[in-house]
Amino acid sequence: MTDTPPEDRTTTEATDGDGHTLEPWEVFRQEKEGDPMRHGGSVMAPDAQLAVHYAREMYGRRQESVRLWVVRRSDVHELEDQDLLQPPLDRSFKKPGGYVMRDKLAAARERSGQAKPKARSK
Amino acid sequence: MAVDLLPATKNALALLLLAMADDEFVIGFSDSEWTGIAPILEEDVAISSLAQDELGHAQALYRLLAELVADGRDADNFAYDRPPEGYYHARLLDHPRGDWANTIVRRFLYDTADAVRLEALAASSHQPLAELVAKIRREERYHVMHATTWFERLATADGEPRRRLLQALERMGPDAGTVLSPLPTELALEMAGIADAPFPELERRWRASLAPLFDRLRLPALPPTRDTEHARTAHSDAFRWLHEEFTSVRRLDPEATW
Repeated sequence: MTDTPPEDRTTTEATDGDGHTLEPWEVFRQEKEGDPMRHGGSVMAPDAQLAVHYAREMYGRRQESVRLWVVRRSDVHELEDQDLLQPPLDRSFKKPGGYVMRDKLAAARERSGQAKPKARSK
Repeated sequence: MAVDLLPATKNALALLLLAMADDEFVIGFSDSEWTGIAPILEEDVAISSLAQDELGHAQALYRLLAELVADGRDADNFAYDRPPEGYYHARLLDHPRGDWANTIVRRFLYDTADAVRLEALAASSHQPLAELVAKIRREERYHVMHATTWFERLATADGEPRRRLLQALERMGPDAGTVLSPLPTELALEMAGIADAPFPELERRWRASLAPLFDRLRLPALPPTRDTEHARTAHSDAFRWLHEEFTSVRRLDPEATW
């Protein structure tokens, strides 16, 4: 055992989780059973065990959550590329209501003299 | 409720409640001194929250005591209106909070002993105490988790952390068992079935529960409790200073409502 002072442990760079360096963890919380997990904020912790403790303190000590998730920020994979998420050409046909068929179908039947089929039960 | 108890039982129960309430009050107030100056922000919130929990437990225990004694005093009277010699907390808590390692060791020793005490009271013949203990135990679970997490971390980090932990254990080891030292009214407590075992047995259980962890962390076993006759009396200068602090607002105006 030596008497050297501890190294600085407050770096915020992403690490491979050596268990000694503080790194950011994202906290997701659930207001009540059945609700989606929503991002609540983040805590600094050296590993998952303390990250869970701290998430409980910061986001659960006033009984405001029924469930908490913690995720190391460096484990979050992000997609931000606008070419992939918001491409320039019109793609509204992919949306519900983006390709209205009813009137076109009625007009085509009338032209061909077909009656609209009766609704079948089961 | 109070009228159903034999005088000896009532006396024993009152002394036990006083001991437990004073324990929680003193450690709660002492640990709350970390607010604003803990090593990292997250621990600042954690220790403050733990300290608040302890003060809440103290308040509930003082209330139970006030109901039992029924002499017109309320929880605040019990908490604030005694001179330092009148407090009945365990000598372990006479040690000041010290550095972070000292605080963690003190919390670990106290919370693990308290857990054994609470477990023994969970099926107490005194219903109001059993009910309160059930609630307190649910919160104390987290206290033991937090203290153990930090205790292990400090013990396994070679260098300054482990050194400070060992020093804290050396300082407080002989006083650690005072939390479970038998009270003068031990026999009456046993006969009334307040706890499920005598306090000497509880201390044995507690020491046995720590042995595997101390082995794994290569820590020296805790020494036997020193001076058990004064386990809860003859308080330290550090406590006298703390008493001055925690009664300072009350003494400004004992009649005020805050």
